[in-house]
Amino acid sequence: MDALIPFTTSGSLVDLVDKKVLVVLRDGRKLIGVFRSYDQFANFLLESTVERLHHQLDYADKDIGVLLIRGENVVALGEIDLIAEDQVPLRPVPSQEIELKIAQENERRDRDHAVRDRVLEAHGFVVDGREGDAY
Amino acid sequence: MLPLALLTAAQGKPMLVELKNGVTFNGHLVECDNFMNVTLREVYQTSADGEKFWKMKEMFVKGNMIKYFRIADSILDTAMEEQERARQSGRSRGGGRGGRGGPPSRGARGGGPGRGGPPGGGRGGGPGRGGPGGGRGGPGGRGRGAAR
Repeated sequence: MDALIPFTTSGSLVDLVDKKVLVVLRDGRKLIGVFRSYDQFANFLLESTVERLHHQLDYADKDIGVLLIRGENVVALGEIDLIAEDQVPLRPVPSQEIELKIAQENERRDRDHAVRDRVLEAHGFVVDGREGDAY
Repeated sequence: MLPLALLTAAQGKPMLVELKNGVTFNGHLVECDNFMNVTLREVYQTSADGEKFWKMKEMFVKGNMIKYFRIADSILDTAMEEQERARQSGRSRGGGRGGRGGPPSRGARGGGPGRGGPPGGGRGGGPGRGGPGGGRGGPGGRGRGAAR
């Protein structure tokens, strides 16, 4: 396969078809699913997709199913190593639990950063945003 | 099956469209084009924060505003079967294109590793995918819409 398909950006995606992949979107979402197809715009078709939520070493998956992602919104795509995946020290927790924790953390950070951002801005710094804002 | 081919095949079917700004639309796809512009019918709009809802009879979404589509599993299944049938009949009449050296063609959608979906996923639609020749997990009631 290496010899037949030149290592171009689109050529390299051929190898990922039917593999389990992680897709990161511009809004910060991490999607895990089976990579079924793609096109020249990097529109992706994922099957059996889940959205993975992280909070420190905890995670939860939310079922999504078949997902057609418009290429513009994709930040990164990578194959998941099925063996290494089991060795990651992540702990599955219920999704309600993790959503609550993420909401709490966002709230706390908004509060904490509000003062700091005001001061920084007054000194001419650009304040950093949340995850996803960088794209 | 290319992403836009699935969209074309999903005409008339229910789906969820999320825009880049987080607003979502639940409705039936009426038409779509190669720019990913779509028209929907019987639409429930949800605000980005998920707090507000609107209902619309008919609407148009410009393709470049779209983040993603959520489509029912069964639609992908039928579309792929349909495509396979079309390919078979095209071949028997001798009019087939004979493949195109794109992504390696997979027989009856044979699964590579990672079939059966992400571990711990569980699609909520019965027994998942899994085994050789295994049936699909049945159409899990999906679509969030106003009921959320």
